[in-house]
Amino acid sequence: MKQVEAIIKPSQLGEVQQALTKLGVEGMTVVEVRGFGRQKGHPELYRGAEYTIDFLPKVKIEILVSDEKAPQVVDAIVRGARTGKIGDGKIFVTAVEEIIRIRTGETGADAI
Amino acid sequence: MVIGKPLGRFLSVTILLSWTLILHPVLAEEATPPGGTPPQVATPQAAEPKPDPAGISTGDKTNVIDAGGNSFAVSEPSDKADPDYAKKKKDFEEYQTQAGKEPLAEKLADAVGHLRLATNFGWTLLTGYLVLFMQAGFALLTCGLVRKKNAAHLMMLNFAAYVFAFLAYYACGYAFQFGAVAVNAAPTNLGGTPTLNEFLFGSGQWGFLGGKGFFLSGAGYDAGSNVLALFEVVFMETAGYIIVGAICERITFWAFILCELFVGAILYPMFGCWVWGGGWLSQLGATMNWGHGYVDFAGSTVVHAVGGFCAMALAVLLGPRIGKYGADGKPRAFPAHNIVFVVTGTFILLFGWMGFNPGSTLGATDLRISVIAINTNLAAVAGSATAMILWYFLFKKPDITMACNGMLAGLVAITAPCAFVSANSAVVIGIIAGIVVCSGVLFNERVLKVDDPCGAVSVHGYCGWLGAVCVGIFADGTYGSGWNGVGAASYLGKAGQGVTGLLYGDSSQFWLQLGGATLCMIYAFGFTYVTFKLVNAIVPLRVPAETELEGLDIPEFGMTAYPEDALAEAK
Repeated sequence: MKQVEAIIKPSQLGEVQQALTKLGVEGMTVVEVRGFGRQKGHPELYRGAEYTIDFLPKVKIEILVSDEKAPQVVDAIVRGARTGKIGDGKIFVTAVEEIIRIRTGETGADAI
Repeated sequence: MVIGKPLGRFLSVTILLSWTLILHPVLAEEATPPGGTPPQVATPQAAEPKPDPAGISTGDKTNVIDAGGNSFAVSEPSDKADPDYAKKKKDFEEYQTQAGKEPLAEKLADAVGHLRLATNFGWTLLTGYLVLFMQAGFALLTCGLVRKKNAAHLMMLNFAAYVFAFLAYYACGYAFQFGAVAVNAAPTNLGGTPTLNEFLFGSGQWGFLGGKGFFLSGAGYDAGSNVLALFEVVFMETAGYIIVGAICERITFWAFILCELFVGAILYPMFGCWVWGGGWLSQLGATMNWGHGYVDFAGSTVVHAVGGFCAMALAVLLGPRIGKYGADGKPRAFPAHNIVFVVTGTFILLFGWMGFNPGSTLGATDLRISVIAINTNLAAVAGSATAMILWYFLFKKPDITMACNGMLAGLVAITAPCAFVSANSAVVIGIIAGIVVCSGVLFNERVLKVDDPCGAVSVHGYCGWLGAVCVGIFADGTYGSGWNGVGAASYLGKAGQGVTGLLYGDSSQFWLQLGGATLCMIYAFGFTYVTFKLVNAIVPLRVPAETELEGLDIPEFGMTAYPEDALAEAK
């Protein structure tokens, strides 16, 4: 079982979600985050004082998938989130130890 | 034709400067002192009225009027061919005799006349301030209806709208709209503003654009004229901010400034001249025997339809927001980010409308103000109730934003007929407006595919048109005797009969209302579309795609409405 974590541009969330739904992904968690990679922030002026907006708004999606499905899911996210401009984001895939469904107590692959 | 931004800005400024050059001869006329006019023709003419900037010669016994509208002072009849001449001459001689016996009463009458005007000055200014406050209401309403990333952009648009449209109106808009008001539509409640007595284009009962009072100077530097100017500028501002609702989230700030200058300088004032400034549309009763001429009490068409259809033209030119319509053509929702603002804003607009409608009598001495105030509220609540109930039946839940839009629709629709209808008619008008606004929003969204973030076209455009037509249907003749100079002695065979609609026996009023409202729609849409298609070819109206996706707050203004302090670093 794998956790796929993707940090993407907020404007691409709709497309990524559509692509994942088409694949049959049944659940995801979405969080509003701020951050930067190589995109960096940009300088602004406020009433005569300079400041930099370092942390740009992004969206983080977390999905749990079976090992076999993981590459397809990563592909779908890349297709949905890519704009070709700087700041498109990154995807991290990590291994998951255990998954439990709270309502029924199912564990493992059944709980995805 | 794509031009770089700096060159584009230069061209826009050049266009604006050309306006000033065109106005130069008019400005020169205003600058000439009263004594320096060219030699007059030999025929004796009435002296050109002097402006009264300090208000010390405004208001005397000729302004004393009783509840029924009868004048205290009797003037000498000048028209010897008048069938009533003998009687009028006798009345005048009796008045002269009486006045000779009671000189103190005459002096008192002068003070009473002054006081009457003072009452009306106070009323008109205060109701004007209420309308000014509507600016805040609309800012909150529209800001709440859009996405969070554009909140500062919306507030700035509403704010800058007030600023720039006002300046355009001061420069030439007021003069275009009211420069000739004393010719056919002198506001007697304010002393008649006699110095505003010349058309720039047209004359007599076929006036098209006024020509006095540019830069609120010369003939415009007058106490009475300034009251009128304050009241009328805030009405123009209403038309100015209506467009924000349809063009927001994708228009550049500088293109928006051009829109506001356009509305304040010419779009609003020209139609306003035709209807309120004594222009040709209002005089069609006198010239063509069509009812009382085109009637629009407080501006369903003059203000709201002009704003609404200008907004529609701009929205069509701009195109829908990115992501609004999917590949299948279905509209996507961009939910309001702050319903608290939306409802608060609507309440402020309702409160301000208490200035908008009752204030349009231009005087507290016109006691119809109470009926107007009640009618306004009745239409507001009827419109909102209808929208809520209708939406509930269609979609199982009452939409809060549609409840607010329903109230505004009722208010817009009653704005033209409010002085001429009964309470029950006001409720019916509100109900119809509620139905029209709900249908209009769905129609624009799903059929026409015109992206209108705040529903401005439906609320102000469609319901504004409806309001003017409702005058022609529901006006019951109890008010408005002598409106636009028609039927002062009697109308439809009855003395004191006022503006009347279809249901009370006057079909010509209905057809004229229908025609005039439709003309307004074509005028506002067409003039705006042609002008801004040209502007768009020189300087694009729309922001680049990345800016639109990021939200306009930072790229356009360098600040957000809701900065998260911990994450923004100051250097």
